[in-house]
Amino acid sequence: MKLIYRGAEADLLLGAWAGEKAIHKVRKPLPYRLEALDRAIRSHRTLHEANMIHSARSAGVRTPYLYFVNPTSALIVMEYIEGERMKTVLELAPDDIVISLCRRFGEDVAAMHTAGIMHGDITTSNVIVRDSELVFIDFGLSLHSAKLEDHAVDLRLIKETLNGAHSRIASVAFGALLDGYKVKVGEARLDATKRKLSEIEGRGRYAKVE
Amino acid sequence: MREAGLTIEDLDGIAYSMGPGLGPCLRVGGVVARTLALKHNKPLIPVNHAIGHIELGCLLTRAKDPLVLLISGGHTMVVAFAGGMWRVLGETLDLTLGQLLDQVGRYAGFASPCGMRIEEAARRSRHYLELPYTMKGNDVSFSGILTSAKRLIDTGKKFDDVCFSVQETAFAVTAEVTERALAFTAKKELMAVGGVAANRRLAEMLTTMAKRHSASVRIVPIRFSGDCGAQIAWTGLLSLRAGITIPVEDSIIRQSWRLDSVHASWRDGAG
Repeated sequence: MKLIYRGAEADLLLGAWAGEKAIHKVRKPLPYRLEALDRAIRSHRTLHEANMIHSARSAGVRTPYLYFVNPTSALIVMEYIEGERMKTVLELAPDDIVISLCRRFGEDVAAMHTAGIMHGDITTSNVIVRDSELVFIDFGLSLHSAKLEDHAVDLRLIKETLNGAHSRIASVAFGALLDGYKVKVGEARLDATKRKLSEIEGRGRYAKVE
Repeated sequence: MREAGLTIEDLDGIAYSMGPGLGPCLRVGGVVARTLALKHNKPLIPVNHAIGHIELGCLLTRAKDPLVLLISGGHTMVVAFAGGMWRVLGETLDLTLGQLLDQVGRYAGFASPCGMRIEEAARRSRHYLELPYTMKGNDVSFSGILTSAKRLIDTGKKFDDVCFSVQETAFAVTAEVTERALAFTAKKELMAVGGVAANRRLAEMLTTMAKRHSASVRIVPIRFSGDCGAQIAWTGLLSLRAGITIPVEDSIIRQSWRLDSVHASWRDGAG
């Protein structure tokens, strides 16, 4: 098996499962974390992630197929997705493609939220662009939640990621995302979510107080 | 200045911390800076306190383009430079690490700052008591740890064990969001600055973590890691060279001045 990505939390290895190309996601022990704490976090997140990937798929969002799950060894084996990370695509794409991808992004996020799922870690590294589809990965921090607060936290992370890694196109991209989001949730819910989002930002330390 | 053999006439300008921070403290500094600038006819230079920590840290550790973990009583933030500004990649949603440690210490009857005392107590224990490990996206929250730690103290748990558990939980969650930012940005330097950077257990966690990403770790020396005049002076000098000054009549203080709203035009790549 070949290491294809070393994340903060897990390593992704490219291998096979029943003759198909497959990703083996292993949550390796984090040596800086106390062992008891580390073991509990890893096994909990593994089982939880498998459940959430399944729930998101049921909500109509594209996610990898699951092949095998073992919480004790913190291993998930899943479908290999051919494509590029959205982070890379956004860096190179012309503005009109950025807009259409982000609009799509917004629709998919809204589909999850409507089904009561908070992804919890939506950065542009956790979305793979396959043809014109978006495939969502890494549900390790996701939650079952219909709370406005949690949905706004998802949007806030996307906004932070766009500002941090795609600062050139950040405002256009986020605007397009909100457009797509509105299509699925409707104007009233979008407005409520946006208000919550500014409330959360206002709670931050040294936030603008105007 | 006496040590350096200089008089006030040798200075190029007067830099002061315009924010963020506590109003009364900022105001005292502001009044002194304005007075000196007017009396000696020197340009007045506004400095963001948080950026001061970072720029002084870069000077002392020779970090060129680091991922920065800013951890003090006022800040708990993961920051990187991109597109002309220092950008925030993760931060606390409630308490800072410094506040958490101080409040746990004060609850047990010690006077703040309590960081050193908690570190010593933690070193005497290996007994972990469960505390909430809270990450939201790439942000952290420490209020649950504080509430639970107080409850543990109330129920008569050993203070050493509480300190050990608070450190292990709060530092691990901090190291985890820092690691995520390191993986995301692929920076090759990790710099820790701010009062809490002096904690050896945290430094050890960060070093172990950074090794996995072949990033070097720069811990800003204790003397210059906490609040100090040098951070304002050095960043003031960088700003002045880039032509940043402020007329005295506009030199208000800004208690809530976020570092990610400052155009850092003195940096390469700031345009």
